[in-house]
Amino acid sequence: MSYTVTDARLLRINLTKKTIKVEKIEQELFRKFLGGRGLGSKYLIDEIDPKIDALSEANKLIFANGLLTGTFAPTGGRYMVVTKSPLTGTIASSNSGGFFGAEFRNTGFMMIIIEGKSAEPVYISINDEDVKIVDAKALWGLSTHETTDKLVEAFGVEGAKVACIGPAGENLSKIAAIMNDKHRAAGRSGVGAVMGSKNLKAIIVKGSRRVDIEQLEKFKEIVKVQNGMLKAHPVTGEGLPALGTKVLDNIINSNGLYPTRNFQSAIFSGVAEVCGEALVNKKYLQNNTACYGCVIACGREVALPNGLKGEGPEYESGWSLGADCGANDLIAITEANFLCNELGLDTISAGATIALAMELYEKGFIPKEDLEDMVEPRFGNSEAVVYYVKGMAYRETKLAAKMADGAYRLGKAYGHPELAMVVKKQELPAYDPRGVQGHGLQYATSNRGGCHVRGYMISPEILGVPEKLDPQALEGKPAWVKIFQDLTAVIDSAGLCLFSSFALGGDEYRDLINAVLNTELTTEETLKIGDRIWNLERQFNLAAGILPDQDTLPDRLLHEPLPDGPQKGCYSQLQKILPEYYQLRGWDEKGYIKTSTLKDLGLV
Amino acid sequence: MITIKFYSLLRLLVKIEQVELELADVPISTVLEEAAKKVKTPFLHKLVQDGKLITGTIILINGRNIHHLDKLNSRVQDGDEIALFPPGGGG
Ligand code: SF4
Repeated sequence: MSYTVTDARLLRINLTKKTIKVEKIEQELFRKFLGGRGLGSKYLIDEIDPKIDALSEANKLIFANGLLTGTFAPTGGRYMVVTKSPLTGTIASSNSGGFFGAEFRNTGFMMIIIEGKSAEPVYISINDEDVKIVDAKALWGLSTHETTDKLVEAFGVEGAKVACIGPAGENLSKIAAIMNDKHRAAGRSGVGAVMGSKNLKAIIVKGSRRVDIEQLEKFKEIVKVQNGMLKAHPVTGEGLPALGTKVLDNIINSNGLYPTRNFQSAIFSGVAEVCGEALVNKKYLQNNTACYGCVIACGREVALPNGLKGEGPEYESGWSLGADCGANDLIAITEANFLCNELGLDTISAGATIALAMELYEKGFIPKEDLEDMVEPRFGNSEAVVYYVKGMAYRETKLAAKMADGAYRLGKAYGHPELAMVVKKQELPAYDPRGVQGHGLQYATSNRGGCHVRGYMISPEILGVPEKLDPQALEGKPAWVKIFQDLTAVIDSAGLCLFSSFALGGDEYRDLINAVLNTELTTEETLKIGDRIWNLERQFNLAAGILPDQDTLPDRLLHEPLPDGPQKGCYSQLQKILPEYYQLRGWDEKGYIKTSTLKDLGLV
Repeated sequence: MITIKFYSLLRLLVKIEQVELELADVPISTVLEEAAKKVKTPFLHKLVQDGKLITGTIILINGRNIHHLDKLNSRVQDGDEIALFPPGGGG
């Protein structure tokens, strides 16, 4: 059985009342917001008061497929989790690959909107039209891997896919992730805690309906050409398959941007031990793996000499649990990464929070009794990295319980929030913005707080793709950031992987979208959809009380020059480029959206 | 002495981590040609084509990208460290 791309419906499940409803999605919404991040955000904003407590019953948790998820579009397997973030207070949208999204689309449902809160642990089971809320008491407390195995076994139908939380989400850690297919994470902004707050342990999906493409022949041709482009491009055809994202360790370190010991330095002396090349040379890397519909296959299947097996570390995870904590033991870093996946913690936030605990402890701001005799968090101590991952997921000690809510709240609890390397309370990823000005602007303005995948300026500023920009130059950067942010919103809402954008551009995404929507959008109009989504998210944040004064970076990055490396002496010049960015966005000089802009985008 | 370090796919290709050359005050293009003579596996075609840097190639002299120096004419001095990354870095 098949259905057309926009003939999709949504499932509305109320966990308080235990009701399940099916609703139609208005066609117009696909043209305005595509799906995934855009469509999910539109529903969230229409349905919740942005000021609510994110962990209260009033919050909603939306699983949204992208417009092209489950089709055979290149990398078309991604789904998005949209909710209000308990970490940042902003809108959260965290996306993930693997196979869950495509299977979810095969049920014929474009979205699931989860409301209310169950009194007891439950999971949701979806087998095409057969949707049930099922008791999950026996699953509560289990790791994401155990949960997945048990659910698939109980489901009894081959090919069912699971998204679930681990103990971290159950314990409402504000940096908890939702894991799918065991190793893939909708990681950021604490979406796992929202799921935990609703007593929802998992969602299992199995579908037999296929998305029907009206202009099938045309679509096939477009996909063939684009898969060819992905295979021919050095990044997506060669670099990512061979070395994965960890090819970046040496690139970023050699450029003097590799944040070390909680951003106290940007050069890591232990990089040779932990880099992507080492993962290959030490023979830990077994294979590369691919998500649904992906010819790139950047995933890492890794086996350690101690017998542990899993996927990762990715560049970000390897950095946060490694260099940021001053740790150079690749085995321990990988083990900590596996643990994050099993316990359901966001790796970036987990590592960055441990790094802050290390700085606070070494500076004497954390009293020893808060450790409750557990390992001392000191830079370079990889045993501490592994322990505190576990400690945070279970809120084990006085210190770990505070760490479970992320770096900002940890710093605040010990009197030094300024040492938390966060934007809008979300931990920054693996690029020191003092050495790369456009990327710093993108961190400061990201609608979900500190994040590298809302507009990956590292590509032009460091990697030289599509063209090389001087990382310290300011001129032209606001325009680049805006275009990257808008394009990324399109990719996220289409349900495609951001990595495809190393080889594909606005014209390619436009062609895919036009083929399934039967539209004739120009590239400019396609980017305008991204602009609309960006402003929609900003509207939510402003209404939630996350005001423009939070479009900034930690003091350390604004005022303390880089202490070493090729960019020694540089610091972020954010204030010099932020006004131009506001202007390009159609916002007033204070950073509020002008009514004329909202009108132009059809948001009023 | 100038140290040339190979990274990522280049390292997997040439199977060595670095070479050292006794050179001083020469353009980076000369350094690359001399390094190619010292390494068994040909690698220059991964970085440069028709006398131009391939899009995405990263060549650093002491951490500074030659794109923002004098491209392939950038001068290399005794003691400098060169890092070579073929296109293919992404994450
Ligand atoms: S590039 Fe990597 S993360 Fe993206 S879809 Fe492919 S395998 Fe998944």
